[in-house]
Amino acid sequence: MELTSHTRNDTGGRTPGCLAARQARSRKYSEIAQRLTPYFFLAPAVVILAVALLYPVGYMIYASFLDWNPSQRIEEADWVGLRNYISLLGDESFIESFFVTLKFAALVVGFEMIVGVGLALLLDRNVRGMSLQRTIFILPMMIAPIVVGLIWRYMYHPTVGSFNRTLKSWGLDAVPWLSDSDWAFASVIIADMWQWTPFIFILALAALQSLPQSALEAARIDGANDWQQILYIKLPLMMPVLVVTCLLRLIDAFKVLEVILVLTNGGPGLSTEILSLRIARTASEFRELGVAAAMSNYLLVLLFVITLAMFLYNKVAESRQARIRAAAEEEFK
Amino acid sequence: MLKLLKPLAGAAVGLSVGLGGAMADPYQPYKGETLVVNFPAHPHYDAVMKVLPEFTKETGINVEVDQLQYLKMREKQTLELTKRKGDYDLIAYVVFSKADYVYADQLENLARYFMNPKLADPNYDAGDLIDGYVQNIGVAGGSKGYLPGPTGSLFGVPFGSETSVLGYRKDIFDKHGLKVPETYDELLELACKIPELEPGMGGLSSRAASGHHASHAFLLHLAPLGGRVFDENWNLIVNNEAGVKAAEALKTIVDCGPEGAKTFGFAEAGAAFLQGNTAMFLDSTVFAGQVNNPDKSKVVGKVAWAPHPMGVRRGSQTGGFGIGIPKNAANKEAAFLLMQWLTSKKADKLIALAGGNPSRFSTHNDAEVNEKFPHMATFGEALKHADPDWRPIIPVWGKINADLGTTLSKVLTEDLDIQEALDGVADRSKAVMEEAGYYTWN
Repeated sequence: MELTSHTRNDTGGRTPGCLAARQARSRKYSEIAQRLTPYFFLAPAVVILAVALLYPVGYMIYASFLDWNPSQRIEEADWVGLRNYISLLGDESFIESFFVTLKFAALVVGFEMIVGVGLALLLDRNVRGMSLQRTIFILPMMIAPIVVGLIWRYMYHPTVGSFNRTLKSWGLDAVPWLSDSDWAFASVIIADMWQWTPFIFILALAALQSLPQSALEAARIDGANDWQQILYIKLPLMMPVLVVTCLLRLIDAFKVLEVILVLTNGGPGLSTEILSLRIARTASEFRELGVAAAMSNYLLVLLFVITLAMFLYNKVAESRQARIRAAAEEEFK
Repeated sequence: MLKLLKPLAGAAVGLSVGLGGAMADPYQPYKGETLVVNFPAHPHYDAVMKVLPEFTKETGINVEVDQLQYLKMREKQTLELTKRKGDYDLIAYVVFSKADYVYADQLENLARYFMNPKLADPNYDAGDLIDGYVQNIGVAGGSKGYLPGPTGSLFGVPFGSETSVLGYRKDIFDKHGLKVPETYDELLELACKIPELEPGMGGLSSRAASGHHASHAFLLHLAPLGGRVFDENWNLIVNNEAGVKAAEALKTIVDCGPEGAKTFGFAEAGAAFLQGNTAMFLDSTVFAGQVNNPDKSKVVGKVAWAPHPMGVRRGSQTGGFGIGIPKNAANKEAAFLLMQWLTSKKADKLIALAGGNPSRFSTHNDAEVNEKFPHMATFGEALKHADPDWRPIIPVWGKINADLGTTLSKVLTEDLDIQEALDGVADRSKAVMEEAGYYTWN
């Protein structure tokens, strides 16, 4: 009681200007506190992310400047600066692997996008047992990559493999699936397509089924045929999803390892040795962890550039759509 | 009375000394300890697992085994050996790890254990261990750094080691009156003659897959044909006349081999022989255990064995595994006792009878072992020519081996000119050797 009266007295003794200033200050603090509150809540997650994501990446970048073999502790390794990066630029095997990777990723993702989106467009209708079919379609994705490699390796087997036995039963010559450079490359692409086309199919189908029906109905009323609907309505509307899907598959295709390891181990020669396999061999067979880290960083930069390009493309497409939308709204006014 | 007492007392003392001697147990101080060992998943070590309980029964020392696929084993060991205090007391290591582990000072020098009278068994008979294996797998620091010599020391003992032998189909050879090849000329001629005599059958099963397999197959022919990868001054000579001959031999064998031979690894080459698709098989002795297993083989009872044919010299491979004590092991002395027991005459025989690869000459000549595995005497004969230097064991070998293997794969699959291919390997390997400091003293 005493305290209350004292407070009242104290306040009562001040000028109105002073009170207003104090209230303004209090409001300001409250605003700052409000603004900061979300950051306080986010802080634990940010710290965990920084430790879990940035620390390993930083460690890898640091390792790429070292001459480090697995029998050494990292502090025992010699600092070699940019030597690993520079020597890789003159390493014929690394450059060959780099181009094999680019070719593999471009072809495999290109084919998978065409087949996956094509299948989604074909099956975007009310078919009986669609959910069961979808489950069957995504089965290859759920199989462990090592097993996928083994399955295809036996199917490609020159004598007992199902492909060559079928070809021979038709009176055709056997195909050197894994023992000829070009065929081996094609064989690896086929196996990867078998496993990962369902991923694109499922995402494309989900995108198709969430398209605004009003746009499709309007197109139909305007007399658009099926092809026109696909080219001018469906595909443009699906594009944001397709871009992200393509990006995810590209990132994955650059890192595929197990299937190729089991199928060809990079051979014949270096014809199917993609960069992730080269990195694995450099670390475990050649015992050059610093060089392997430098290779990984080159791969990281490549993926970063691709991600950035896709992001920019998305931004440009979005702003273009916004401009068109604004122009259309302007016209209606 | 005194006269009677004297001999009695003498007899009592003698008896007590004798009994004391008989009761002395070198394992006593370690009884109850548990050793943790790291072994590969490999037919030899599967046989070892059957014999290990005998060690615990005899010594009271327990053994825990961490058995891993051999490449995984190497990866795990690489991490384990860099720790300040390791989990393993004894490890099996694949031969090319010797260079890495010894160079990184991660394996115990065994001299101090063999010098310790409380640990070293005087009946161990190290002279009975197969010399080529000991040189190849156990010794480092001598000639060329990885071979024995005045400055060399022992870091491991061969255990699960292998050499190369020629397996051939007795029935096919008898049917066509063929002579078992003793030289490379005869071998290569037969390799291409068999597909003509037996349509659909390949001559000889060989590994050829890109990388380690192609390189291994090439090196298998290089030593007998008089070649080496390096000369005494570390200059690359893999591209000399002998090198070209070895690559030509490999190409001939693969071209006259079964369908798909260009992509064969060790398993596929073996499977082709076991399925009856080829008449000969030239590779590791470890394969022999499968030939008469009806679950895996269609050629049970049809296979005989002969030494690796000679070129200008005899030189079969040496490889496989050895066992050593990590520097960071917790129970080193007990680990040494286990190592000594496992490679003793008694255990070597027990393991051989359980289907393992013996490391001793005496086991190869043992009547009981030969009765169960009649090929053992032939293997023992082949081992006299085991070449510890058929493949260099240096830290940078992994990189050179991979380059050699992928380049040879191009020779086999893309018809790359052999001389050009080997010249390329020599040039690139020279740069690797230079960077590793091998020409510092030139």
